[in-house]
Amino acid sequence: MKKTGLVIAAAALVVAGCKKTQFAEVERTSGDADFTHYIAVGNSLTQGYQDGGVYEEGQENSYPSIIARQMKLVNPDMDDFEQPMVNNTGSGYMHLEYINNEITVISPGDTTTQPTEEDASWSTWGESMKSIKYNNLGISGITLMQCVAMDDNEKIINNIILGGASIDIPFPPISYDIPGNPFARFMDFGDNPHFLLGGGTPIQYVDHIRQSEATFFTCWLGDNDVLGFATSGGIPTEIDGTLLGLGTVQYGNLSDPIMFRQKYDSVLTAFSSIGAEGVCATIPDVTVIPYFNTFTVAGIKQDYGYADVWIEEGDLNGGVTQVRVATENDLILLTAKDDIEGGSGASETDPLTNDRVLDAGEVNACQTRTIEFNNAIQSSAAMFNYPVVDMHGFLEKIKPGVMMEGIGIAPEYISGGAFSLDGVHLNPRGYAIAANEFIKVINDYYGSNIPLALIGSYRGVIFP
Amino acid sequence: MKKLFSLLVLAGSTSVFAGGFQLNVQSARAMGMGGAYTGFSWSTESVFFNPGGMCNLKGHNFTLGGSLILPSVSLQTPSTDNIDATSPNATPIQFYYGGQILDNLFVGLSINNQFGSSSSFDDAWEGRFIVQNIALKTFSFQPTVAYKIHDYISVGAGFIITTGNFAYEKAIPVGSVDTDYGKARLSGSGISYGFNAGIFSTILDNDKIRLTFGASYRSGQKLSLEEGTAEFTDIPLSLQTSFPASTSFTGELNLPSVISTGISATYKMNEKNSIMVVYDFNYTGWSSYDTLAFDFANEDTPDSKTTKDWQNSPTHRFGIEYVFNEMIYVRAGGYYDISPVKDGFVSPELPDVTQFVPTAGFGVQIGEHFGFDLGWFHQDAQRESDLTDAGFTAKYHRMADGFTFSATVKF
Repeated sequence: MKKTGLVIAAAALVVAGCKKTQFAEVERTSGDADFTHYIAVGNSLTQGYQDGGVYEEGQENSYPSIIARQMKLVNPDMDDFEQPMVNNTGSGYMHLEYINNEITVISPGDTTTQPTEEDASWSTWGESMKSIKYNNLGISGITLMQCVAMDDNEKIINNIILGGASIDIPFPPISYDIPGNPFARFMDFGDNPHFLLGGGTPIQYVDHIRQSEATFFTCWLGDNDVLGFATSGGIPTEIDGTLLGLGTVQYGNLSDPIMFRQKYDSVLTAFSSIGAEGVCATIPDVTVIPYFNTFTVAGIKQDYGYADVWIEEGDLNGGVTQVRVATENDLILLTAKDDIEGGSGASETDPLTNDRVLDAGEVNACQTRTIEFNNAIQSSAAMFNYPVVDMHGFLEKIKPGVMMEGIGIAPEYISGGAFSLDGVHLNPRGYAIAANEFIKVINDYYGSNIPLALIGSYRGVIFP
Repeated sequence: MKKLFSLLVLAGSTSVFAGGFQLNVQSARAMGMGGAYTGFSWSTESVFFNPGGMCNLKGHNFTLGGSLILPSVSLQTPSTDNIDATSPNATPIQFYYGGQILDNLFVGLSINNQFGSSSSFDDAWEGRFIVQNIALKTFSFQPTVAYKIHDYISVGAGFIITTGNFAYEKAIPVGSVDTDYGKARLSGSGISYGFNAGIFSTILDNDKIRLTFGASYRSGQKLSLEEGTAEFTDIPLSLQTSFPASTSFTGELNLPSVISTGISATYKMNEKNSIMVVYDFNYTGWSSYDTLAFDFANEDTPDSKTTKDWQNSPTHRFGIEYVFNEMIYVRAGGYYDISPVKDGFVSPELPDVTQFVPTAGFGVQIGEHFGFDLGWFHQDAQRESDLTDAGFTAKYHRMADGFTFSATVKF
């Protein structure tokens, strides 16, 4: 009896003692940063765009909203992070279905099966939201060029690109209608300064930054100054500005690096002038993303039996210079899928068109420009004492595939786990990974200890 | 879209059995003295610790014992302040027989659980893609013979048959509209063979002093899981060719070899009272555990291979025993265990730590024929490390208390 009692007593002691392995709650701190009013500026990545559209679930998992969610753990009193939300399916988006034993990407407008179409409210989305001051100022498609105008002409052009322009007078009959950026409709861009378009005062993107009351910001601008060019296969977009005396206006080409630096300085000046602290991010090498790597020349030869892959080679302004056989240095865009399945590119007479290919020359131009832009971002941020998240380096690091929380992540289409179905933008898990890169730099620089987001809690690709 | 789809989901993320999964609870008496038992000879446990030491047994001796191990593991990650693993208590058993059949010939049998590990987490915990639940349990049977060459030196050897049961559950990072992630359950069993040999020497034995020495080698064993069952659940329809509801797999678990040497020195105060100090040095061949691979019968299921890259690791064991009136045995000791797991390979299912572990115990001998022993150890250590292959970082706090009780009958 005696010894049994002893064993039980000892065991009871141990069981009581077991709780001691628990780690104490970590005391959370904002460090030197003030997260009270967090503002995010950027493009589609910031707006939460994914699967080829902006939709409710995507926005809820934008990287800024993930950062804000984590920030709240160190500063529970911070202002709510307001985003210009769309309803349900928003602009419509791509999803996967399992058809004839194959995983198939279904885009809005596809007739084969039920696509995820835009929400009924999308056509008028944003119109009643212009007076609201949002925390997430991300606009899909926006370039750094469009954020700040250096002269009057640019003010006119930026205002048209972002806010649209419309003249409709019966006599003399003039009808001129250019839609603005549909993803920018939540923001008020004032009046276009051109006398034909109202001759009023524009509100620039950078003005919204000045009025944002930010105490803290993340700035991931500049991607579209390369990406827009790259995803179009190196073909700039054009606006007919003849009526306005502007001739043909091109945008969506590679931005000028000197202007890039000046405009980046302007954005950071705007934040600095209101005393905000924050963090900037470099832009990735766009050619690393699945959009450019899913179809390769070798892959097309092997999977589709092409002897050679014929392409149109373009100049940097959308013109075609020659038709030639593609090499491994030419990148075939994800959008070439239907063309390839239809047999295009198999012969010299039916090459893959310029808009389906980022040829070697264009790749080179993109990469060179990306390095120049990133140098500009680094030195501009250094000038204002803001830290920089090296997204360029990070994407290089995960290029061969990495493991995070036991989950395989790679810049591979569908199987890579982090990119959405458009092959350019991230999915919620990818955005959580990006958010963590921001958080690490914020913690490191400002001495805060924002806990990292759990990437496993954010969904990857939804398989059928 | 042909060949678009290569699955990364299982690769590299299967990590099993970090932590020395060797159970060092094979004797209540040894446990009282830091687990040392190679360098002295006292009772039936020599069959396991050093077959050469069996030759001091008289008559027929039976020991039956069991342990209760109460583990507790908590983690802190860059995302979460505290996560408690729900590791179940372990109850390994031991049975030893040793007896003299001729003047110089002895036979023995050892049945025990030499390897084991069991760890559980909440199904939805943040490391679920590494492990949710895992369990390994082995039973080893070792018939043994020993031969006394002369009074001062004896040798022994045994043949080991080990059966092992293994089960492992983890989440798979593929989701659908209805499910957040899939689940894999691997289970299997297998048999392995090995041997255990030892030499024992009484260097000096007089009225005052006894000095003994022992050395043993327990071979490594390859535990083959020949017909393991892999079950996949909650898998999206489009991926069920890669992760079918059920398939079989083969795998191999390398159980390590152990080289041990030990010494003991006893000072006899009188006929009935003495004091003994012991020291053991173990060298465990964990480098055998360099990779862990599962090959699935279903061709589309990505085979899994995990680099463990463990290192051979030494353990120092020492203890002291005071014998009072040839009836009460009081023991204390400890061991210093150097982790075989390098930084970058520490896994949540059993985070191994280099640590000093104190132990204590006592025994009571009631007459000539009956005795019992109780041993205790207490582990408490922390470690911070990555599991690089899985992209998982944590700070671990691991505690365990173990009790071993055994009863010995001699006739």
